[in-house]
Amino acid sequence: MTETRARFHEALRGLEDQALGGLDLVVATIDRTLEALKHQDVELASMVIADDDRIDGRYLEVHQGILSLLATEAPVATDLRVVAALLHVIGHIERMGDQCVNIAKLIPLSGHEPPTDEQLIERIERMGACVRSEVGQAKQAFALRDAGLAQDLVRQDAEINALNREIFAMALEIGDDADRREWAAYMMLVARALERIGDNAVDIGEQTAFVVTGLFREFSDASRVG
Amino acid sequence: MSPHDPETQMTDPPTDPATAAGETGQSTAQPPGRDGAATTAAATGRRITLDSLSAFYGDSAAVRAVSLEFPPNEVTAIIGPSGCGKSTMVRCINRMHEEIPRARAEGKVLLDDLDVYEDGVDVVAVRRAVGMVFQKPNPFPTMSIFDNVASGPRLSGARGGDLRDRVERTLRGAGLWEEVKDRMDQPGLGLSGGQQQRLCIARTLAVEPKVILMDEPCSALDPVATLKIEELIAELKQRYTIVVVTHNMQQAGRVADTTAFMLDGELVEHGATDRIFTNPGDSRTEDYVSGKFG
Repeated sequence: MTETRARFHEALRGLEDQALGGLDLVVATIDRTLEALKHQDVELASMVIADDDRIDGRYLEVHQGILSLLATEAPVATDLRVVAALLHVIGHIERMGDQCVNIAKLIPLSGHEPPTDEQLIERIERMGACVRSEVGQAKQAFALRDAGLAQDLVRQDAEINALNREIFAMALEIGDDADRREWAAYMMLVARALERIGDNAVDIGEQTAFVVTGLFREFSDASRVG
Repeated sequence: MSPHDPETQMTDPPTDPATAAGETGQSTAQPPGRDGAATTAAATGRRITLDSLSAFYGDSAAVRAVSLEFPPNEVTAIIGPSGCGKSTMVRCINRMHEEIPRARAEGKVLLDDLDVYEDGVDVVAVRRAVGMVFQKPNPFPTMSIFDNVASGPRLSGARGGDLRDRVERTLRGAGLWEEVKDRMDQPGLGLSGGQQQRLCIARTLAVEPKVILMDEPCSALDPVATLKIEELIAELKQRYTIVVVTHNMQQAGRVADTTAFMLDGELVEHGATDRIFTNPGDSRTEDYVSGKFG
């Protein structure tokens, strides 16, 4: 059997590598963001904000590459599904980068040595680790075309959602001290941003299942409490 | 094609099965264009059904037991690599295949209820009901634009004003009238390639067929002429059953309601065009449409 569209398929593979490489950028950015959060490192937070341009640049490159492939190669069948999925994936990557920026922007607002709560911090860190793992798994599932691994993201995401709810409840019960309440409110926003990154990872999993099966379905109903 | 013309009695298949069974021996079907012609929306195409159709060149099978249905007023695209049997299959529908020495077909080709391979069927009338447009535009070289279109109706007895009206209606139906109305007496070969192909489509429409077979109708045309033919196909399907053989998969995607993929003489897959090009069910279809072989 002769491969008749070798250059196109090579270009498509290159585009996929470029897009999934964006998830590596996101993982590195999550690491820096969590590090900055842990140590209240404003300089590192600034770097996270500045480096978001790299993720945005990756988005523009992949987006342009997808438009070019659609215009010149008219992909069909699985190729078409991959191209369509990559368009979603790179959008989610761009949003994940923005959520890290949202967290980084909160770090200077919460002050140099804010009053913290050990239990709440522990949950934020656990949540960060889960999100990091989830993003890595989303990449692996897409690259391997593994619908089962993609579906498993829902399990991880449920853990993240549960932590988010716990953090919300703990923040409400943080006490009457104004500084602590302010800090806890920022942590609620951090948790919310991490939770959104998790949702983006699940969305990438849904795109993986679409590529594999040809049918798009949401893994979980967003209108349900979960 | 008059219902009372003895030549057409076996070939204008009745819409009423009882008539098809031979109760009257005459067709009750209304040919297209009787009341205003091939260019009005009154007429509809007819259903073509292939039932275990095989076609041979000598001992070699080019089409193997294909069963497939072409619904009226739909465009069906046939795709597949060179030599897969798609043109041969289509030529069996209007019994053109048997014109090749040692070529023969087995199985059934039904035009509604009439098996066109039944004994006693008038082959000429079958070909009139099932018109064909070929890859290369082939206007009659010595004839004017008018005569190219008029030649078929003349054989059915059309003359004078009736003939002129019919030629005009047909050329309008083929989307060519405005471009040629002031030079009807000039040779058909003087037209551009795209215009020649539309002239050939007009020539096919002029004998008021029910089904139009198109074998690579745009492969010799430039992109603009190709798009004009594709627009025309979309209009013609309102009145005819259309089968298009094409190597151009984007064309199949643009014009066809359903697409059939053939390989080595066999029908691999047939389904809605959208599905064939986004989520084909057979890995061989996937490999072909995405260019993994060809």
